[in-house]
Amino acid sequence: MQTYKAPLRDMRFVLHELHADPGSEPLPGLEEITPDVADAILEEAAKFCTERLLPLNASGDAEGCRLENGVVRTPKGFPEAYAAFRAGGWTAMGSDPAYGGQGLPETINKLVEEMICSTNLSFGLYPGLSHGAYKAIAGHASEALKAAYLPKIVDGTWSGTMCLTEAHCGTDLGLLRTRAVPQDDGSYRITGSKIFISAGDHDLTENIVHLVLARLPDAPKGVKGISLFLVPKFLPAPDGTPGARNGVTCSALEHKMGIKASATCQLSFDDAVGWLVGEPHKGMRAMFTMMNSERLSVGIQGLGAGEAAYQGAVAYARERLQGRALSGAKRPDLAADPIIVHPDVRRMLMTIRAYNEGARALGGWVARSLDVMERHPDPAERRRAEDFSALMTPVVKALFTDLGFEAASIGLQVYGGHGFIRDHGMEQYVRDARISMIYEGTNGVQALDLVGRKLPAHAGRLLRGFFHPVLAFLDAALEDDALAPLALPVSKAFGALQLATAHIAQRGLKDPDEAGAAATDYLRLFGLVALGFMWVRAAKVAQAALADGTPERDFYEAKLATARFFIERILPQVAGLLAAIKSGKGAMMALDEAMF
Amino acid sequence: MSGIRKVAVIGAGVMGSGIAAHVANAGVPVLLMDIVPEGATDRNGLAAAAIARMLKTEPAAFMTPRAAKRVEACNVEDHLGRLAEVDWIIEVVIERLDAKRALYRRIDAVRRPGTAVSSNTSTIPLDALVDGMPESFRRDFLITHFFNPPRYMRLLELVTGPQTDPALAETVADFADRRLGKSVVRCKDRPGFIANRLGITWIQNAIAAADDLGVPVEEADAIMGRPFGIPKTGVFGLVDLVGLDLIPHTTASLRAALPPDDAFHDSYREMPLVSRLIAAGFTGRKGKGGFYRLNRTGGQKTKEAIDLASGAYRPARKADLPELKDAKGPRAVLDLPGRAGAYAWRVIGATLSYAAGLVGEASDDVAAIDEAMRLGYNWTWGPFELIDRIGGAYLADRLARDGRPVPPLLAGLDGRSFYRVENGRRQVLQPGGGYRDIVRPDGVLRLADIKLGREPLLTNGSAALWDIGDGVVCFEFTSQSNALDEQVMVLLGKTIKLVKDRYKALVVYNEGTNFSVGANLGLALFAANIAAWGEIEKLVHLGQQTYRQLKYAPFPVVSAPSGMALGGGCEILLHSDAVQAHAESYIGLVECGVGLVPAWGGCTEMLGRWQASGTLPKGPMPAVARVFETVSTATVAKSAEEARDLLFLRPDDGITMNRDRLLADAKARALSLVAGYAPPKPVPLTLPGSAGGLALRMAAEGFARRGIATKHDLVVSGELASVLSGGEADILDTLDEDAILELERDSFMRLVRTEATLDRFESVLETGRPVRN
Repeated sequence: MQTYKAPLRDMRFVLHELHADPGSEPLPGLEEITPDVADAILEEAAKFCTERLLPLNASGDAEGCRLENGVVRTPKGFPEAYAAFRAGGWTAMGSDPAYGGQGLPETINKLVEEMICSTNLSFGLYPGLSHGAYKAIAGHASEALKAAYLPKIVDGTWSGTMCLTEAHCGTDLGLLRTRAVPQDDGSYRITGSKIFISAGDHDLTENIVHLVLARLPDAPKGVKGISLFLVPKFLPAPDGTPGARNGVTCSALEHKMGIKASATCQLSFDDAVGWLVGEPHKGMRAMFTMMNSERLSVGIQGLGAGEAAYQGAVAYARERLQGRALSGAKRPDLAADPIIVHPDVRRMLMTIRAYNEGARALGGWVARSLDVMERHPDPAERRRAEDFSALMTPVVKALFTDLGFEAASIGLQVYGGHGFIRDHGMEQYVRDARISMIYEGTNGVQALDLVGRKLPAHAGRLLRGFFHPVLAFLDAALEDDALAPLALPVSKAFGALQLATAHIAQRGLKDPDEAGAAATDYLRLFGLVALGFMWVRAAKVAQAALADGTPERDFYEAKLATARFFIERILPQVAGLLAAIKSGKGAMMALDEAMF
Repeated sequence: MSGIRKVAVIGAGVMGSGIAAHVANAGVPVLLMDIVPEGATDRNGLAAAAIARMLKTEPAAFMTPRAAKRVEACNVEDHLGRLAEVDWIIEVVIERLDAKRALYRRIDAVRRPGTAVSSNTSTIPLDALVDGMPESFRRDFLITHFFNPPRYMRLLELVTGPQTDPALAETVADFADRRLGKSVVRCKDRPGFIANRLGITWIQNAIAAADDLGVPVEEADAIMGRPFGIPKTGVFGLVDLVGLDLIPHTTASLRAALPPDDAFHDSYREMPLVSRLIAAGFTGRKGKGGFYRLNRTGGQKTKEAIDLASGAYRPARKADLPELKDAKGPRAVLDLPGRAGAYAWRVIGATLSYAAGLVGEASDDVAAIDEAMRLGYNWTWGPFELIDRIGGAYLADRLARDGRPVPPLLAGLDGRSFYRVENGRRQVLQPGGGYRDIVRPDGVLRLADIKLGREPLLTNGSAALWDIGDGVVCFEFTSQSNALDEQVMVLLGKTIKLVKDRYKALVVYNEGTNFSVGANLGLALFAANIAAWGEIEKLVHLGQQTYRQLKYAPFPVVSAPSGMALGGGCEILLHSDAVQAHAESYIGLVECGVGLVPAWGGCTEMLGRWQASGTLPKGPMPAVARVFETVSTATVAKSAEEARDLLFLRPDDGITMNRDRLLADAKARALSLVAGYAPPKPVPLTLPGSAGGLALRMAAEGFARRGIATKHDLVVSGELASVLSGGEADILDTLDEDAILELERDSFMRLVRTEATLDRFESVLETGRPVRN
């Protein structure tokens, strides 16, 4: 049995305590979102996720999706759950009020997403993809397309997809072949095959709006010749309801390791009617504008899996009686001690806990910068926020999903053999979490994005938004007697990050393979320092609350202990990563291809 | 004749007045004469207007406004007799034989015998010019062909006739070399001499081939520029720069003068588009635009390029030729498949083949032809150096495959190159076969030559040290763009130890386009972005210490800049015992422009110089105010002469007009300081303290109120004011150098932490100029 209780206290900590900026004006459009309103939303979301989504998680995984007569059927209970989700207004959460949305900030949206991912990752992909399509249309489509499609997507009666991948091209979209031929009436006819399309077909909504990357007849080669098209499953009738069936069909469902309740489709476009979104040949640019938020969302999937695994593991470690504590029996009244008495079990639980809370804190920082980037009245502030989110996007995507998968695997390990069998649902978390390291840009590609694009951009300008505030905070923390023991190791790790950054900038400039060889280790090093920074900041808040005589002593003391665990037991990995980075590409590239 | 002490230039057009201005730059008085237009009130009006125009041209024709006073406006009606005052008469009138000849007869009547007379004709043979003139005139006559603009273009083509007095020609050549700083290339008396004959052939081929092959102008310029060591203006950009109207003019005159079997005619093409553009006022950058233009309609500037087929302007597109970047070297470009390779081959093949035909025709010396193209057209490699890079056999084979004649010079190469290095000496192939050493004239020393035969004494990734003989060593920056970084400082430190033990003197010199534009800003910005403050401060400190060691080293140090010497590149001059500067040196402390203060001792040294100058009123404030004025505005001297006024150069620092003579002059200067050398003594400074700083800040705020200074300018000049006034110094105290260096460092570190300063760094790196924030 999978269990879940939303970590609302920690969410409130991130939202109101850690990243609070007391005294500052609320961002335009967010004046109404008071802490009380935010808390109410989170509680409602927690309720919905626990009551409606969690019960469908294991059953949906067991049943999977089916392709029947060219139509995809989602598992039992999904259509009803989706109807309730829509009725609750959850599809409209992050959308513009002009199209019926609620205009909630990313800081709240991402916390809700985490709860959805913890309780039912497969379900979350349906509205998640719709929101991606919403952003592409809102950002780049004509007013007519926006008016026709956005209200329906926002209220959830229609859903969306993103159709990028083809059989021969995934990471390298420059190779894609799907064609779009202009018609006299301004529309286009789209022909080609797409694979791996999440929510490509299903029975949750009355219509599906596909956003398709394709080439125009005069397109230049490579990624500069790709345009974005809107292709609905049913062409809207004049009254706005779904009309004639368009030439797009699901030809097969992918058979896959996890997220089985999510319909991952192969789609055939056969002279399908579509409309251009944005400018010709600028399709990649349209995709990139929503990339930061999308990639953070995928990172959040990793966090969601980690949180679910943590809760499952803690429950089991408390009740599973086996052997005695090394230092002598702790529960002589029982046949054996619960396994939570063992240091190695503690190591596992503390590791997942430190990952999760650290990632929640870091995700909150990045989500906040997305809000500032969208809404701040000062263009200089917007640019800073844009720089920062561009820098942190690959870090949070790859780090959170790597850690999420590791956390799911550790959670399973706590169960021993009972984790490996299906009954407890732990192995599902491992299988479901695995995809988030792959899609929306593999984690290797994220690392290359970090060292190849984000580091060198504007002679390192994007780095400023991280390095300057972190150093300033740490320098001040070192002067604070209570905080200094935690700040000192993080300050040293930060020094290692500076060294690694300078090293890669210098070596990578002369030889791009050097940057490539360092990329993944560097991203992890960066991520660990970012988490370490979050933990010192969290510790500072906790120390202040305890000094103030907070009634929630347990919460804050746990915070401090977890901070200490991360800094003492996980952060030291930084030294090994730095050594690996400095060794260069030599050993990695030594073998001739034939010697493999 | 014994020397040239005064010069006359007849003809006050663009070239004539430019030549006059440059003679004045050399410190020599000039009479500038033109006709008296009918009904003129000021009979010297044409020349006077030309002088006024010269004072405003960009790039500046005069090295200082003072130089303009050496040019006297006259006219040929009233003042022809004054030609007797001068030692050299330069005729720069209209390119019409009858007009020139008539003028020569008038000149001959009044000039002193033995006064050199030269024509700046670009295409008329000397033979024709002196036809019918007395032998006494022919003996004193020659052609001196300057390039536009005369101050900046280093080539002077010199043609003598069979009767020209060799001694007189030598006197003119020597004056042009040492005083005007020109590289004199002797040419045969053939139409167009060397540079224009080959240059115009190249331009004609390049335009015609673009037209035939349908190559857009941006693409043509991208191919015909950098890949072949030609300035990035390529061909269409160059024609826009020099003026479209010049092309048909020079072409017509070459067509008339060259024999019908000359290959020049093969490249000739009627250009209705060019004629139409000229007629409509599209004469290039001086007119409404040319092949490119800036369209300002609609309130914004759009760069447009012409479509060669339709003749209509369209938005300019960056040439999309990734294959060009991947091609390693000019031969790889010729081998490119498709339009790019075809275009490159057609133009370069024809041009180099024509160049080979010019040996024996325009000059017997391939090195002279190369020099003419390098200095007259700013090519990195002359045609024969280019052939060496491409391969003579490749060129000959490909010409033969195309069914085109292979010039005998190429056919006879037999696997040899035009240049080679033998026993550390550069040699050139002679037309008769066999190589000869390239011998530099007396007083010309090239580091490039020295480097051929030996290893550096010291070297690392950013600098090198060379033994240049007679106990003198030369410190060379070798980093990209000669940017100064930690490695430069480290090697300079090692150099100081080495020279102390084993050598007599040190020269700081290099042969880059610019001496140094200062510290490596990209590195600094990256370090600042990752908050590596400790590293940055370490480098500031290292630079201060190294420059101080240089200043107090027990041997003389002479720095010899050419081109830009900015920021840290200026500060090394300030710490040298003497500077021998190329006349075209542009020196300045520009740190405030990028939001910093000079911190490698620049503030300290400038204060010392002005306090010691003795030209200012008494008290600590005048020197401080003077330095503040220069440094806060990031003033850059526009010539070595102007750098004297700003005390970047001291009164006894030397100026060398000819770039090629700079190293030898610097070495001689260094040797002259060896006997009895004693390092300077530290001089404590009396500074006005915070009260003085306040006065400077108030002045800066005045600028801000008038809209001249920006918000961040005030922050920067506030820091500068605090450094220059000695921080919190008491007016009764004196501060030693260490104390001021510390102030420099502290201000620098405060500024480098500001976002506005980093934004300036970034915009300099990305756009070439600091953002005004």
